[in-house]
Amino acid sequence: MGRSLTQLCLTSAWLAFTPLHAQEIPTFKLEMKDGVISPARLEIPAGKAFQLEIRNSGKTAAEFECKPLKKEKVVVPGATATLSFKATAPGQYVFVDEFHENLPTGRGLIVLK
Amino acid sequence: MGQVLFIVWRESAEAMLVIGILHAWLRANPDRGLGLRHLWGGVAAGVLAAVGLGGAILWFQTFFAGDAQEYFQLAMVLVASALILQMVVWMRRNGRNLRRNLEAGMERSAGTASGLGLVTLVLLAVAREGSEMVIFLYGTGLAQQGVDLLRFAAMAAAGFLLAVLTFWILQWGGRVLSWKTFFRISEGMLLVLAGSMLVSGVEKMEALGWLPSLKDQLWNTAWMLDDGSRMGGLVASLTGYRAQPSLLLLLVYALYWLAIFAVLSHRETPRKLVASRA
Repeated sequence: MGRSLTQLCLTSAWLAFTPLHAQEIPTFKLEMKDGVISPARLEIPAGKAFQLEIRNSGKTAAEFECKPLKKEKVVVPGATATLSFKATAPGQYVFVDEFHENLPTGRGLIVLK
Repeated sequence: MGQVLFIVWRESAEAMLVIGILHAWLRANPDRGLGLRHLWGGVAAGVLAAVGLGGAILWFQTFFAGDAQEYFQLAMVLVASALILQMVVWMRRNGRNLRRNLEAGMERSAGTASGLGLVTLVLLAVAREGSEMVIFLYGTGLAQQGVDLLRFAAMAAAGFLLAVLTFWILQWGGRVLSWKTFFRISEGMLLVLAGSMLVSGVEKMEALGWLPSLKDQLWNTAWMLDDGSRMGGLVASLTGYRAQPSLLLLLVYALYWLAIFAVLSHRETPRKLVASRA
């Protein structure tokens, strides 16, 4: 009886003091498939840190590059890469799939508002 | 398919510039401590590193999923920039006119110190963009079948040959132009490249939140030269041009060039005085 009470107290204390969702940063998904980016336009709240989950569902390698946000990353076929962005001012930020930048579908826009 | 040619050429361009310039310099200034073997050793090591890094990213993407790759690339770009600057300073010191004044002791120690620097610089120059090229070639080449694969290989080879052309143009320049002219031009090119790498490094640190941007997107010259376009991107990676620079970036770039002019115009005179007194 005493032991289970102690266990209950310890578990409650642990639950109370451990923030369960400490790092809840909004994550947005982006798909790159052989030069086709979807969605081509992302609307993300400005002034807050956010993450982009970039999935390459194509057969060719892709390189996400957003010069205005100073981020770039190569994503191999079948893989998913996560990029963290710090809080940024509102505006429109162009990004491309560098390996397919010659295609009109290889460009996208991140709109922060 | 033209994109394949362009990407291979673009990714090789920076390395070819560094290798080409250093090759021309070393040929014109044969040195006991520093030689072409360092250069080609660095190239070989760089190719191995590029294949290794590219391969690691291809097969162990999860290992590089987080910011690890960012830190790694940041380190590479800053070290490469520093090494280029060190190399320029060394070449100024060991230039043709001053070489005979710097016999024995001084020259030898300068030689060994820069030997490792030379190998590392070339290794970084090759590995930095080389790893991306490996991923691109493997990841995209694998998706091609039959005739497309042949066309892909031909385009990639053509892109590489274009880059090699850059190398030969630099060698030709080294022979055709007077040493002083060639030295000044190639030194200028290397300094611009080092500046571009510094810009990349500062940008990465801004993105990681380590440095404050002060004011983002000071202006937008994308209408003149869009750094997201093919040509614009190439200019951006070789010179550090940014269509929408932050205030921090501008300040760093301005300070960089001020420092370059200050250091290089100051160094020439004292060295000559020391040498003539010895």
